Amino acid sequence: MQTNIKVEVKNLTKSFGDLLVLDDISFNVTSGEFLCIVGPTGCGKTTFLNSLTKLYSITKGSILVNNEPVNLKKHNIAYIFQENSTFPWLTVEQNVSFGLDIKKVPKDKKKENIKEVLDIVGLYAFRKYYPVQLSASMVQRVSIARAFATKPELLLMDEPYGQLDIELRYKLEDELIRLWKKTNTTVLFITHNIEEAVYLGDRILVLSNKPTKVKESIDNHIPRPRSIVSPEFVKLRNRVTELIKWW
Amino acid sequence: MMNNRYLRVFLKIFSAIISIGAFLLIWHIATNGTKLGELMPGPIELISSLIKSTYTNIGKYTIIGHILFSLSRVLIAFTVGGVIGILLGTAMGWYKTAEAIFRPFYEMIRPIPPIAWISLAILWFGLGEIMKYFVIFLAAFSIITYNAFAGAQAVDPVLIGAAKMLGAKDSRIFRSIVFPSAVPYIFAGLHTAISASWATVVAAEMVRASEGAGWLIIQGMEMNNMIQILIGIIAIGIVGLLLSIIMRGVEAKLCAWSKSGK
Ligand SMILES: Nc1ncnc2c1ncn2[C@@H]1O[C@H](COP(=O)(O)OP(=O)(O)O)[C@@H](O)[C@H]1O
Ligand SMILES: [Mg+2]
Repeated sequence: MQTNIKVEVKNLTKSFGDLLVLDDISFNVTSGEFLCIVGPTGCGKTTFLNSLTKLYSITKGSILVNNEPVNLKKHNIAYIFQENSTFPWLTVEQNVSFGLDIKKVPKDKKKENIKEVLDIVGLYAFRKYYPVQLSASMVQRVSIARAFATKPELLLMDEPYGQLDIELRYKLEDELIRLWKKTNTTVLFITHNIEEAVYLGDRILVLSNKPTKVKESIDNHIPRPRSIVSPEFVKLRNRVTELIKWW
Repeated sequence: MMNNRYLRVFLKIFSAIISIGAFLLIWHIATNGTKLGELMPGPIELISSLIKSTYTNIGKYTIIGHILFSLSRVLIAFTVGGVIGILLGTAMGWYKTAEAIFRPFYEMIRPIPPIAWISLAILWFGLGEIMKYFVIFLAAFSIITYNAFAGAQAVDPVLIGAAKMLGAKDSRIFRSIVFPSAVPYIFAGLHTAISASWATVVAAEMVRASEGAGWLIIQGMEMNNMIQILIGIIAIGIVGLLLSIIMRGVEAKLCAWSKSGK
């Protein structure tokens, strides 16, 4: 049972000076789970992911991956930021290749790998393009392809589709589900879009306002592919909406 | 649409020709018809002298030779100043230790115009080439260092985070993230620096040289030869413009990724 836990957050507290942001938070993420985290703007969602990945230091408590403290060299963690994080001076292909070069993946393996992920996000034809030549949604797909290329055991996504219009969001959400199923990655997906959380997650973690605690954890067993107009979907969406009415 | 664009370009060229033509005409009339002729040669005389200077020597060389002398001084010192400036600037922008060690020293040198060093350089290095290299080096170095430093500091922290998450270590981040993101800043610096270097070589040659564009002007003054002075000025202007155009071309090629447009 213990071995099945991918991420263990224990009494995590994070403050910036006098500002208490995360207040004694504890929860677990199971291996292979798709966990959505929803919470009001400014409650510390990004702060949580930055603490997990050691971009920020933790004030109190701990975050364990595979039962040990996070080690970016050992644990293969990918992080898709809220903002565009593609390297503008590299082509699509070179962006995807970046992590593979660092991990010294052999040449033909790398080529194969890049083609595979670019095919999945539909950007193989654009592999020689620079990010500036692509639309916002295509750029976001480059980040996703770059993250998946390293075959992460844990994928962190911070409101990745926040800036996109609805149609593209739907498309990328389905794409993400496909990738997740294919790779068995554990996904932590942050959003403030309730519909998106209900559509994607195996479970939804609802956070409170600052100082932030876990308000509730809701299992989502609706079979996939999900329909956003089915009665059970609407019911769950309403329940989450009810929980966060007071944001 | 297309036609419209051609028309606009045509009108631009046409009006340029008209205004330059009018200027030359007024100049011609003024120098031929009035006492101004004693102060200034006319345009026809000047242009024909300019053409002649490309195949007959002024002093030891033709005007092409003089320009090549000045250019070689600039290119040598500019290259050295550029390489050192880029390395030092980006290092100061990324490594706190490098900033702590070099920045105070650099900030002391930076506000001093390179020409102000000429006298000191002569005392240190004599009147030869080294003195000229040194002042041109300072001109290029201080501009390029500053831009490279600003560029390295302006790197987007999100990109640093992304590289870290992909497993990049500190030295890798410097090479693969900080340096390339500073490149557009560096190019802006190289562009300003090449103009400054060109201005500085002229100044250094005016102080002491036996060839070069600056020498042409000073020697023209000593010989009371107005045409030679004007030829020197025109040559300096043309070369300065060409250097600027070349830099812009190289920049457009190497920094294509930072410009939008499909
Ligand atoms: N580096 C930082 N320094 C100081 N305060 C910060 C920093 N990062 C975030 N905060 C503060 O922490 C709170 C949570 O921010 P954030 O994690 O970005 O929220 P969310 O991602 O949920 O919208 C905000 O009040 C923000 O101002
Ligand atoms: Mg955020």
